Amino acid sequence: MEAESRKKALHYFFDKVVGPLGFKFTPDAELMDFLLEQEVMLEAKHGIPFCPCQPLRHDRARDMQIVCPCIPFHRKHFDAIKRCWCGLFVHKDVVDPDSLPQLSPKDVGLE
Amino acid sequence: MSERFIPAISTDEIAPGGMKSVELEGHEIVICNCDGAYYAIQRRCGHMNAPLELGTLDGRFVTCAMHCAQFDVTTGQALSGPVPADVGNESLPPRLAAFLQHVGALMKDVRTESLRTYETKVEAGWVHVAT
Amino acid sequence: MKRVSMYTLSTCPWCRKAKKFFAERNIPFTYIDYDLADDATQEKIMQELDAAGVTGFPYVKIGDEVISGYQPERYSGALRL
Repeated sequence: MEAESRKKALHYFFDKVVGPLGFKFTPDAELMDFLLEQEVMLEAKHGIPFCPCQPLRHDRARDMQIVCPCIPFHRKHFDAIKRCWCGLFVHKDVVDPDSLPQLSPKDVGLE
Repeated sequence: MSERFIPAISTDEIAPGGMKSVELEGHEIVICNCDGAYYAIQRRCGHMNAPLELGTLDGRFVTCAMHCAQFDVTTGQALSGPVPADVGNESLPPRLAAFLQHVGALMKDVRTESLRTYETKVEAGWVHVAT
Repeated sequence: MKRVSMYTLSTCPWCRKAKKFFAERNIPFTYIDYDLADDATQEKIMQELDAAGVTGFPYVKIGDEVISGYQPERYSGALRL
């Protein structure tokens, strides 16, 4: 299966999901391309496009929480930092994604 | 060799976003209505043969109902393979477990192949397909 | 000099940036790519992350301080750079 076509398809599907949640693809095109490429590889390996920046626990219930887009499972955290963990998605009003640090839930007073 | 276009289905038989299976001269074909543009693909999923009209069409992407393999109906290209099912972690009766292990070993070599596509044209309210 | 070690993922660009941060400053560090490790190592790593209440990578330890995520300012602060 060819990576470029799969990246475009994932972009199409994810766009429709994250929009209503208040997110959009990061304006950082290079980062977006890299992350989608990693997800295509993870999907080829595991059958599911997991987040490239979170660990697989080999426990289905927990691993389902990092299937991209995983925003619904981490809503408070991601809304607090205006981005998802790997940075593929950012809040719709974000124009400079580099200004958003990768803060953990503890860093923003959650958990 | 010129292609023979055969009238397959009338345009008002499939709503936009819909799919319908037809058989034309021995070919099992699914016709997809992608926002008014019609595409024809082989009916059988390139993974394990399930009928694709039982799946879902979203834009130009069809997802097979059996294991969620996905294809681009405009090119027939296979985009992703099967999604592993959630079978839980209860222990199975021994003979069933052995059978599933055997099937699993065989399925390791199963690939998801791209689909054959067929040219279409719309004429006088009918979708024609070249077989 | 405080000991620097990290748990990372080979698929994560932020983990790469974290490694680069220390490499560029000639600060020695050790790392394990979780996704490339064997089951036993993965189990040990997850126990450590669970104990620290952390879920995201990169997981960077500078001395006793644990920093989850790519946070170069905190790395500098922890190392007194």
